[in-house]
Amino acid sequence: MNKVILASGAALMLTIGAAQTPALAQQKTLTISVYALAQDEYKQIVYEPFEKICGCKLVVETGNSVERIAKMEANKANPVVDMAVVSMADALAASRAGLIDKIDTSKLSNFGKLYDVAKDPNKDGMSVGYTFYATSIAYRSDKMKIESWADLLKPEYASHVAWPNVTTNQGPPALYMLGQALGKDTPDLKAPIEAVGAKKGELVTFYEKSSQLVQLMQQEEIWAAPIGRFTWAPFTKLGFPIAWAMPKEGQTGGMNVMILTKGAKNQELALQFMDYWLSTEVQTKLAEKLIDSPANKDVKLSDAIANNLTYGEETAKSLKLIPSAVALDNRAGWLKTWNEKVGQ
Amino acid sequence: MTARSLFIPVTLFLVIAFLIGPFLIIVAASFSAGETLAFPPQGFSLRWIAKVFTVESFRASFGMSLFLAIGGTAAALVLGIPASYALSRYKLPGAEIVRTVVSAPIIVPGIIVGLALLRYIVVPFQVGITPALFLAHTALVLPYAVRVVSASLDNLRSDIEEAAVLLGSSRLGAFFRVVMPNIRGGIMSAFILGFVTSFNQVPVSLFLSGPGVRTLPVDMIAYMEIVFDPSVAALSSLLAFLSIGIVFLAERFLGFSRYV
Amino acid sequence: MFQNRTEALALALPAAIFAAAVFLVPVVILLSDGFRAPAGGWTISAYTDFFSNPLNQAVFLRTLRLGALVTIASAVIGYAAAFAIVSLEPGAKGKVTGLVVLPLMISPVARTYAWIVILGRTGIVNQAFQALGITEAPLRILFSETAIFIGLLQLFLPLMIISLISALENMPKDAIPAARVLGANWFQVFWKVVLPLTKEGLVIGGTLVFTGSLTAYITPAILGGSKVLMLETLLYQQVSVSNNFVAASVIAFILIVMSFAANILLKRVATARNKQRSPQ
Repeated sequence: MNKVILASGAALMLTIGAAQTPALAQQKTLTISVYALAQDEYKQIVYEPFEKICGCKLVVETGNSVERIAKMEANKANPVVDMAVVSMADALAASRAGLIDKIDTSKLSNFGKLYDVAKDPNKDGMSVGYTFYATSIAYRSDKMKIESWADLLKPEYASHVAWPNVTTNQGPPALYMLGQALGKDTPDLKAPIEAVGAKKGELVTFYEKSSQLVQLMQQEEIWAAPIGRFTWAPFTKLGFPIAWAMPKEGQTGGMNVMILTKGAKNQELALQFMDYWLSTEVQTKLAEKLIDSPANKDVKLSDAIANNLTYGEETAKSLKLIPSAVALDNRAGWLKTWNEKVGQ
Repeated sequence: MTARSLFIPVTLFLVIAFLIGPFLIIVAASFSAGETLAFPPQGFSLRWIAKVFTVESFRASFGMSLFLAIGGTAAALVLGIPASYALSRYKLPGAEIVRTVVSAPIIVPGIIVGLALLRYIVVPFQVGITPALFLAHTALVLPYAVRVVSASLDNLRSDIEEAAVLLGSSRLGAFFRVVMPNIRGGIMSAFILGFVTSFNQVPVSLFLSGPGVRTLPVDMIAYMEIVFDPSVAALSSLLAFLSIGIVFLAERFLGFSRYV
Repeated sequence: MFQNRTEALALALPAAIFAAAVFLVPVVILLSDGFRAPAGGWTISAYTDFFSNPLNQAVFLRTLRLGALVTIASAVIGYAAAFAIVSLEPGAKGKVTGLVVLPLMISPVARTYAWIVILGRTGIVNQAFQALGITEAPLRILFSETAIFIGLLQLFLPLMIISLISALENMPKDAIPAARVLGANWFQVFWKVVLPLTKEGLVIGGTLVFTGSLTAYITPAILGGSKVLMLETLLYQQVSVSNNFVAASVIAFILIVMSFAANILLKRVATARNKQRSPQ
């Protein structure tokens, strides 16, 4: 019966012209798994030029980091994707789950050009950083003054603040910095979660998607929110005086890394692709479009561009990142505490 | 009497304002010059509408969604119409079990369906992404197909086809010549309901989509993960107008609303 | 009624087998994980654990409450709207039904964002309230149970209206005038005549609305967020953040049981009315 369905499905596909062009049997295919961010630009700057160089075809999967790792896990016995880009902590999770292989950095001609922090972020040889970002507070400079992460919880500000949900990539780093501001920075983030929980009635919302924030900022529902630098650009177009805070505790952030699927069919090709992505030329173009802050130290940017990115080795080093192992070991506990203090 | 004559227009106005209000905001935002959704919209421009057509992945995923919605619904009807006929016209042993099994997809949360299919069908049997999505969408639409078609069969008197059979027509002949023309509207409603369900389906498709193959809503959510600009609103309005067009034609030629 | 069993099975089995193989079996395997004891054998300890947690109790009750409120509100509004629609001229009826169905065709994500515009502190509702002097300071409607309620009601009301329209149209045309002639007031007409005759529509619509409200994800996630947790939000967290599929299958099974219970309850309510009516 399935055959009949599939046959009728195939017939339909032809009639409505939706048939996916199948990869030619002879042609090499590289399957990559990436964030959904700016895919049209990536296609132009990275994917299409690379297809020309390698004479192969790129197939792209997009989605958020956790979902894509979950799919890699399900397909462990018969991997679908050859390489993926994920967060540092998810790379460690994938490594612990036995989903990825060591990256042979001798095959990456651009490896030496990377900032030291990006070379082996988890110190296990399983990942290479390609971009990093600062996380700080975007705020209305005409309405408030932010000098510390704790300022967000001030009574006069809290009712105009959106805080990242603990399940988002920005949630734990923001809590981590709040913990520093409160002088109670234990890895379980108990003190900052309690502090946020105590203000939950006043805080506008605990956001899930950063796309919500632009909307809320435009409606003046919020005046401030902790965000990642990669979502900064749309805020600058709203016509309000919006500033990027430099809190006295510093900025936090994250790094996105490349990983190589264990048992992938095209590891050589995947390494070639990684190398291309890390090249000065590609990293410069991605930076100029304000998509990814470069991890390649040879990339030179104008001040106007650099000011809207997280640029330079000094900046990269100054970011207070949560170590991947801490993030991974505490994730479930953070969520539990969060749900108890915030969700009830 | 005045109270009663006011009741109808006032009720309709309030209900429709409530149901359509958000849609109007979305349409207004589609033609806005601003960077976000706003009411009243900030200026007029077609740039967001234009942007929809330049985002390449939207085109591929639109094709995929259209294929799944049309193909999946058609397959569900091919399976569902005979089943509905059996449920409505025959003394079927275990009728309640059949009804429950085919209706089950409605009440199970989509995330669980997606996860279960991925782990116990797609991975062990090495089903490709497109066939997997197709099977899942067919199963998700089946409950609507059976429910709506059964309802219109139940409303149709069964003595006409019994008469046709008595007059020497085969059972199959009676079905195609007597029953089908009379439940055409019901089938059309089932098709539209199934199409809409499949076209807007997110959680199941989220788990089953893979490299190179995505449905439009999944693509929209991925696009909106980081940036929300009015192009998503513009896309939604375009899709809504497309649906209105389809429904209008269906109503025009088949008068489906009598059967909904 | 045809009596031929073989024919009946031949017609019904393909659909049943398809649904069982593609859908039921994998889902049942996944759900059974929630009943497996770590040392082998079966247990319901995952469920007792779930309900012994005060947070889960609160979320369960909130989900139940919101589901019930949305269902009741959509039934009340749905009857009024369906009455109004069936009393229209045939041409107008088609167009208005079209408008009612329209929201079903708009992406839930885009719709939810529209509610952010409408319900915000500077939104249309607050502007209207302030202009009318109902409130001085803008109300905080967004990111509350109220916002989720409004979002879910708009999402699922069309299903109720459509179910009730077809139920009302199938009602004998003279039922209401007859009851009026016999001296029943409008309330009695509704309670004793309309409700029993349209119970099928109410049961179908009510089940769809209640189940939909329980399993909707995007609307509660965006309009409520983790301030107002629902079971579906917890379920999503378990799958995509904690990768805890056992906990996820426990929540999913609870949601399924709630849907079934609602369906049975609605059938009971409708049948109870019917029994009262029959002696007359």
